[in-house]
Amino acid sequence: MDRRQFLSISAASAAIAITGATRAYGSASMPHALGQPDLLVALGPDAVREIGRAYRALVPSDNDRATLDAALRAELRAAHSSNEDLVRADFAAGRTIVVRDWILSRTEARQCALFSLLSA
Amino acid sequence: MHTDARTLEDGRLLEADLCIVGAGAAGISIAREWIGTNTRVLLLEGGGFDYDARMQDLYRGKNVGQPYYPLQAARLHQFGGTTGHWAGWCATFDAIDFEPRPWVPHSGWPIARATLDPFYARAHRVVEIGPYEYEAAQWQRRNASLVPFPLDPRVLWTKMWQFSPPTRFGTRYRGEIVGARNVHLFTYANVCEVETNESASAVTGLRIRTLDGKQLRARARHYVLACSTIQNARLLLASNARATAGVGNAHDLVGRYFMEHFEMPSGQLVLTGDHAASTAMYEFVWGKTKARGEIATSAAMQRRQRMLNATVSLIPAVPGEAPKSTFQSITPERLEARRRAERGERVEPSPSDAPQARADTAQGPGRVFDLLTRQEQAPNPASRVTLDRERDALGMPRATLDWQLTPLDRHSFRLFYELLGREVGRSGVGRVRMNDWVASHDESWPPSLGGGWHHMGTTRMHADPKQGVVDANCRVHGVANLSIAGASVYPTAGCANPTLTLVALSLRLSDHLKTAIA
Repeated sequence: MDRRQFLSISAASAAIAITGATRAYGSASMPHALGQPDLLVALGPDAVREIGRAYRALVPSDNDRATLDAALRAELRAAHSSNEDLVRADFAAGRTIVVRDWILSRTEARQCALFSLLSA
Repeated sequence: MHTDARTLEDGRLLEADLCIVGAGAAGISIAREWIGTNTRVLLLEGGGFDYDARMQDLYRGKNVGQPYYPLQAARLHQFGGTTGHWAGWCATFDAIDFEPRPWVPHSGWPIARATLDPFYARAHRVVEIGPYEYEAAQWQRRNASLVPFPLDPRVLWTKMWQFSPPTRFGTRYRGEIVGARNVHLFTYANVCEVETNESASAVTGLRIRTLDGKQLRARARHYVLACSTIQNARLLLASNARATAGVGNAHDLVGRYFMEHFEMPSGQLVLTGDHAASTAMYEFVWGKTKARGEIATSAAMQRRQRMLNATVSLIPAVPGEAPKSTFQSITPERLEARRRAERGERVEPSPSDAPQARADTAQGPGRVFDLLTRQEQAPNPASRVTLDRERDALGMPRATLDWQLTPLDRHSFRLFYELLGREVGRSGVGRVRMNDWVASHDESWPPSLGGGWHHMGTTRMHADPKQGVVDANCRVHGVANLSIAGASVYPTAGCANPTLTLVALSLRLSDHLKTAIA
């Protein structure tokens, strides 16, 4: 993603109504919510997809939908918290990763990766 | 009183109690303190009241180190000095900037920040800014829209800046200086040599030249050099008739430790969540904003991470426009155009001459800011000003600047951005994307490498004559009656623009001299 792409976040992408869904994370009835990072609202789907692809290239062991899905579910179960809290906890604990020069929480990087697989 | 030195007869001797060399922010600040006293003050300015290309050329020099701005464009050689084109940004140095820091070689001032507090308060009046208040909460009480980000102050904090009109010392204080009975300003009086006694332990006079070939001398009980960081060093080094290495240079320190503030675009911040609309605290509109915040590294985190001090400005991103460093965005040609425009000359406008055009109206999550980092440069003896073989029109060796950086300078950028990225993520403010060069672990610098024309450090302050050129009172070690004013005395650079601090130090020096030479 170049700077122009980054700045071309459209109103349409910002309107993706995913925020509520991602906060109800633990629900097994919403498997795709795992792949809907809050970052979608701020960055838009193209940027998130690019980050997700880059993450999968950076961490080949996570280049698989089932692995990502399982890892995210495990993290949420262990944390007993919402996605937003988990992401903030990642930042607080230093569980971060640099992907395409973005400083991201490990959880949201995995979510971006899952999003890139689900929306490819 | 004022006299154009070119009108004097050749060989004239000028005498006073106190002689100040250089009428910029430092020199004028000191001279004003003596108005109405019984002390006779000489104020010697190399230039005139207006810009003069021939005088400006005397500042031309070579850059032989890291790429740097043309020296003759970085400083104004006229009454009022570089305040003739400064932007008016004022902030205090932080307490940690004055402390010895084991991870920053050659750090530590012989004075504490608290020593400067009363002088900072006085300096506020000189540069015509608001109350001496730098807590974000104080400004929030004055203006409820100034809400700082909810950052953990143990990691990052909101450091306040205040904005001078900006005060153009050359116009604002001309009447006061010229009208003073005991202060005699001489324009076009270029000091080319500091003359000393045989042991170089006292100044006996100053040799002055004019471009039309006249030679004058000045004699006083005490002398203050206030010619700017590069020119102070140049004059001391060139004054080598008795002290072969130059006046005050017994320990090969004069000219060394030249420092700048890095002012470089280094990344972007995209806002997320609830804080997307609360950015008034960090916004700046030229000519309107009185105070605003920048995000700064806490002292605790500097100690823990062993990094340099830094802050970052938030600048609304403009689609399709790559952010530039200060040097890239304000070229010498644009600087010249601004100066002419301020004098009322007709100049073709440049789109980016209007900083308020950068204030966008986008709101909400996804709002993007370019991040302009302002970081101190670590003191480095290899970063230095020396004399060139080429001489200027007055016969003085020109200055050569060898701007050199250290791994700590480079490493601190990445550490700062890692902290910033983590803390804005933790606090829910947003996410940070680093520029490629910041994210990389190599030691190279990008093409945007540049500073803010903040020249500091060539006559550094230290209690030990082997480690500093001047003592805690700005007197040159080993020279009884010579002091130095200006940012050249800074042992470390902090991350705040230097003008407010140099005015505060000048007022302190003036108070000291009132006792010392009374």
